Amino acid sequence: MIRAEQLSFRIGDFQLRSLSLEAARGAYFVLLGPPGSGKTIFLECLCGLRRISSGRVFIDGRDVTGLEPRARGIGYVPQDYALFPHLSVERNIAFGLRARRHSSDEIRGRVTQTAEMLGISRLLKRNVAGLSGGEKQRTALARALIMEPKVLLLDEPVCALDESTRQSVCALLHRVQRKLGLTVIHVSHNLEEAFSVADRAAILNEGELQQVGSLDELLRRPKNEFVAGFMRCENIFSNNAPVETSGSPEGETRMMIRPEDVVVLPLCEGGGKNANEFRVRLVRWRDYGGYVRAELHGPVNLVAHLTHSAFARLDAKPSCELIAVLPPERIHVFGAPVGRSG
Amino acid sequence: MGDSGWLRAVVLPSRTTKHKPAAAGELQKGLTKLTAACNSPCRGWRDRVFAAAGFFFVAVFVGFVLLLIVADAFYIDRKAVLAVVRSGFIRHALWMSIWTSFVTTCLAVVFAVPIGYSLSRYRFPGRVLVDAVVDLPVVFPPLVAGLTLLVFFSQTTLGKWIQDDLGIEFVFQRKGIVLCQFLVSASFAIRSARTAFDEVDRRCENVALTLGCTRWGAFRTVSLPLALNGVIAGGILTWARAFGLFGPLLIFVGSFRGRTEVLSTTVFLEQSVGNLEVALAVAMLMILVAVIALTTIRLVGVRSEVRL
Repeated sequence: MIRAEQLSFRIGDFQLRSLSLEAARGAYFVLLGPPGSGKTIFLECLCGLRRISSGRVFIDGRDVTGLEPRARGIGYVPQDYALFPHLSVERNIAFGLRARRHSSDEIRGRVTQTAEMLGISRLLKRNVAGLSGGEKQRTALARALIMEPKVLLLDEPVCALDESTRQSVCALLHRVQRKLGLTVIHVSHNLEEAFSVADRAAILNEGELQQVGSLDELLRRPKNEFVAGFMRCENIFSNNAPVETSGSPEGETRMMIRPEDVVVLPLCEGGGKNANEFRVRLVRWRDYGGYVRAELHGPVNLVAHLTHSAFARLDAKPSCELIAVLPPERIHVFGAPVGRSG
Repeated sequence: MGDSGWLRAVVLPSRTTKHKPAAAGELQKGLTKLTAACNSPCRGWRDRVFAAAGFFFVAVFVGFVLLLIVADAFYIDRKAVLAVVRSGFIRHALWMSIWTSFVTTCLAVVFAVPIGYSLSRYRFPGRVLVDAVVDLPVVFPPLVAGLTLLVFFSQTTLGKWIQDDLGIEFVFQRKGIVLCQFLVSASFAIRSARTAFDEVDRRCENVALTLGCTRWGAFRTVSLPLALNGVIAGGILTWARAFGLFGPLLIFVGSFRGRTEVLSTTVFLEQSVGNLEVALAVAMLMILVAVIALTTIRLVGVRSEVRL
């Protein structure tokens, strides 16, 4: 388990503001955020590589705030892996054990074991300069795991990899985490990556934690518009009418519905049978392989992600009129209503 | 075999909408264009001109340097060479040049590594000023460096205290040769070390810290090995500068035969009394030592580039 309590840090104009976060023992926690949001700095604060201005860091209940990085029991894999270019793969993996003066026999045994677990035994004698991205990633992971850390911190571990390698490395990370029962904090800006590994996630923006929860919570019940936008929800709009479900008083209410939850029907299937049903005009659409993204203009402008079969059923033509339905149970209202903006 | 059962139940799309294959003619045309673009003779010609332009400058510079050396070599006669070989003073000057430049280089590297690392890693008030001061000796006119040292040790209280009370004499002494060479050439080592440490990825050090290293351990096992080529390159520059130093030495330590004479001052002394052949023979000896030293360093595996 790792817990940050009211952690603050300032560098230049940027600051982490009273950040509190907990990753339970054996949990795979993904910290999401756009570039420049402070994810890497936060990890470095947890590692003890940066001196925090206030707050505390606990690992397995022990306060490690004042401890040096080497005494915290943290494994750290930075972005681009930071392998030691002057050492072979084997020496890279064994680096920590050598630094702690373990015996040669023990080092050899543990290097072999770790390399086997990550499938890089054949690379041990190689120079790191000639490794592929995936091989470098595994080597960096082996270097961290051989120290048997209590917590593993991964900074954008797969961002430099191609799509297929990324998927296989994510699967490997998840498998290793489950096998060793490790607590992992994985930093990323990529949603697909988060979905492939995360038990829980948090979103960070400009040094402030926006929301912590399961990915489904972040996706369906975002705390604010930033979270909704980051989770790729494009349908955020206002409604001046009272919202029936929440029973909120009059006032401008901000709400959202995920693009995949918008139902689009041919005009002939309309007729007021559904709640939240209205006419829209199809402005443009694009096939993204797995779904069709349709832009609809009407009382509110919407984006809908439709399956190919659902889209084919519309017999869509440019500027044709369609029916959009917003299922009430899929609409999410943000916090308390804000005052009328005119 | 087993595929006959379920496959039959799947309704396959009708073959009425066929994907039109690209016409063989069009495909052929496209391929020809692509090949033509890749093997364009124009591209090769431009590349050759570009490379030739680079080599032209290489040839002019290398040719000029070699020409000067060859011209010197032709000027020397057998008598001059024998005079150099037989002269005890010149042998002493050769030895003085070698050991003083070696000590200076070691001293400069000892200073360059911590200074270079500190300037590269730490931000502190006045860092820009410190950075400028480190480079200052490089832009000192050589005579000014010698004069400055002379004034410091002979005119200031601190200098006099060091010389007279502590008994560490530099003016017109052998120790002064090393001090003079150090002042003028250490900046090269420091600058080179600093650049080398700048290029070491700090995240490597950070990882080493999390893996169990102390700050010193991370420096010793990661930063220094990664910056080593740059440090050695700086050492080579320092040695070259120290070995050939002349002006400041003449002012600060003089050129006393058998005492403070080094090869560069020997060249001056010989040519000042009209022994031009002997002066050039000594110069050739200096070039020979430099070539041997640089080749040895290359042969032992230091293939670093000098970056300043």
